[in-house]
Amino acid sequence: MHKTEIRVGGLGGQGVILCGMIIGKAASIFDGKHATLIQAFGPEARGSACSAQVTVADEAIGYPYVKNPDILIVMSPDAYTQFAPQLAPGGMLLYESDLITLDDKLPKGVRAFGVPATRFAEELGRRLVLNIVMTGFFAGVTGLLSYESVEKAVKTSVPKGTEDLNLRAFHKGYEYGREQSAGKN
Amino acid sequence: MKLEGFPQTVFLRDGTPVAVRPLAAADAKALLEFYRSLPEEDRLYLKDDVTDAGWLQRFVALVGSGEVVSLIAERAGKVVAEATLYRALRGWSMHVGEIRISVAPALRRDGLGTSIARELVKVATRLGVEKMVIEVVENQVGARRMFRKLGFRQEAVLRSHVKDINGTKRNLILASTDVSHIWDAMEALVADFSPSAE
Repeated sequence: MHKTEIRVGGLGGQGVILCGMIIGKAASIFDGKHATLIQAFGPEARGSACSAQVTVADEAIGYPYVKNPDILIVMSPDAYTQFAPQLAPGGMLLYESDLITLDDKLPKGVRAFGVPATRFAEELGRRLVLNIVMTGFFAGVTGLLSYESVEKAVKTSVPKGTEDLNLRAFHKGYEYGREQSAGKN
Repeated sequence: MKLEGFPQTVFLRDGTPVAVRPLAAADAKALLEFYRSLPEEDRLYLKDDVTDAGWLQRFVALVGSGEVVSLIAERAGKVVAEATLYRALRGWSMHVGEIRISVAPALRRDGLGTSIARELVKVATRLGVEKMVIEVVENQVGARRMFRKLGFRQEAVLRSHVKDINGTKRNLILASTDVSHIWDAMEALVADFSPSAE
């Protein structure tokens, strides 16, 4: 069975859980795969540590917890410090490059891709959509899920009236991810 | 200020595509021609003398400063509609934007006004405008219908506030739409509160 373990980490209020939920939804509802989602919060949701564990597989998933993710998406320095050492060797790190500075604590063979998601979100008009930029970046770099399925998952997960900007944020992240990925391959 | 996502193509009721994009300084002459081509009765309902070159100069400067957002619709190289968002960059009404729309007579009832207004509402929402207001004269039935479709609701009536071309006094209707709830919902969604904690 092919299984990919993903962890999304950041601060409460950055939309970490929504990012994980969209990935899981795209995989399970629109891409015909199986997915699980586990979410964890700090003592207070907004502004404290927050993470989501997503597993995507071709078959039913028996154990949903992620210990050593194949893919780590981080949106805050604390989440990077906490979760980066747990990345599986040869795994992939997707990080918010304006907020996080990489150090030498990454496991061996990890491929790191950065995106200035907050800046992109602000340029689009709302800082609030940085998680959707990160979701697009994830889709563009990893190619784990089809573009259409993640786009549909974004569209059906965000509040009515915000679809336009959220899809724009998704496309921005996706295109940037494709460029970064092509540059490193 | 650069607006993302333009040019956009909108479609008239018969399927004809029309390009919509932000006004650029180079469009000033074409915009003036558009306004000068409007019938006098239409121009009477506009707040400014849009046929005046001095107004145009001030308008383009406001667009440059970001205080005004202007979208134009183009067909066959001509401006056929213009939508303006006026917003205060300071003061107690920074969350409010006023919308004004003008459409060439030949293209009215074709859905162009609604389409360009919808694009402008999207831009306004992205820019953080939480409440949008319009002013229409009570006998501008088409404009009132169009804005009602976009979610605007009557908020006030100023009695005999406008004199039309024949000197008849008309009521001015103030209508508004509050879009703050849209982004409140998104904010709640990304707040990452634990569902089990509720």
